[in-house]
Amino acid sequence: MSKSARNRAQRNRKNVLTKREVPWGGIAFFTVIGLVAAVAIGYAFLQSRPADAAIAGLIEKDGLGQDHTTGTVRYESSPPMGGDHDPMWQNCDARVYDKQLRNENAVHSLEHGAVWITYRPGLAADQIERLSGKIENTDYSMMSPYAGQDAPIIMTAWGKQLKLQDASDARVDAFLRAFVKGPQTLEPGAACSGAKDAA
Amino acid sequence: MTDGSTGSRGRRPTAALAALVLAVAGLLAAWQGLRPDRPGGGGPEAGFARDMSVHHAQAVRMSFLVRDGSEDERVRLLAYDVINTQSAQIGMMTAWLDEWGAPKADPAGRMRWMAGHGGHGGGRAGSGGGAAAMPGMATRDQLARLEKASGRDAEVRYLQLMIAHHRGGVAMAEAVLARTDHPRVRRLARTMVDGQRSEITLMTDMLRERGIRA
Repeated sequence: MSKSARNRAQRNRKNVLTKREVPWGGIAFFTVIGLVAAVAIGYAFLQSRPADAAIAGLIEKDGLGQDHTTGTVRYESSPPMGGDHDPMWQNCDARVYDKQLRNENAVHSLEHGAVWITYRPGLAADQIERLSGKIENTDYSMMSPYAGQDAPIIMTAWGKQLKLQDASDARVDAFLRAFVKGPQTLEPGAACSGAKDAA
Repeated sequence: MTDGSTGSRGRRPTAALAALVLAVAGLLAAWQGLRPDRPGGGGPEAGFARDMSVHHAQAVRMSFLVRDGSEDERVRLLAYDVINTQSAQIGMMTAWLDEWGAPKADPAGRMRWMAGHGGHGGGRAGSGGGAAAMPGMATRDQLARLEKASGRDAEVRYLQLMIAHHRGGVAMAEAVLARTDHPRVRRLARTMVDGQRSEITLMTDMLRERGIRA
């Protein structure tokens, strides 16, 4: 028996005797694998989640009516976040209006999955232009001035609202990504053209 | 060998199990990295789905307008076909975006996935020109004139606008074919190229019957 073989035999004997020792190597190995898997799954989960949960300051409202009416509706907020509305939706095909819209038409557009950006009249021209650029690049969005609103800029989707001070806020893009034809849309597939075209 | 087999009896299943776990982890990592069925929100597949939906929506709009303005059965039937086909395809592309968890809007600009195309790099478009930054799209002005037109005038306007629109659509579908291996995206894009090409031929004939060369 060579020296190395004898050494091996000794080791083997030792293994038999110490069989019940805790297998730290295996535990460490599988712990690492488990951690890697958990991180990968967690990352994939975060990647696949819509961004709406991440928007700070988001106001949400449930239980809004959605009946059609040609009359005037009293909405609970200005601008409204949803509720009964006119049979004619306001065209929301990447449209920038320079006049105030009728609430009852705009709310119908929200039902179709549009995002509506409103600004307080008198907002600085560069702020308006920055927002216009976003709207013109985004189908299912529209913009209009809104007298008396309590923030310089307000973004609204059905049951969702975000008040902003500045057009360069990163939440503008986040809100558009989350809610243009987003999960709050009551009539997925409905049109943003073919109805009321003027303010 | 016999010495080894008895000696590592306890280690061998562990090693085999470890190899198996590693292999599975490797596969998972590769799948995560490539994501054959889940293209990212910024990739060409999602960009195509978003932009082609906008493009299709305008074709649907123009087809409704000509059905309101024309009595010609063949033009009205073509428009009926475009409305149904392209509306259904918008639904398919929207379902892809839902399934991929990709946003329906890209405020950073249209057509970024197809950057370099004919100078339309997306990005900031001029006032009212946002829609025209996509190939073949009609301007708001052209749509307004089609809406007011009737009879032969409406038909000619529609055919001319829709030929340009389909050409742009074919270019976009070919662009995504050059950029993706995703089977469902490729299949729909392929049918768009073939279907819209054949309709361009049909519409060119219809224009010729009205004494106009496309």
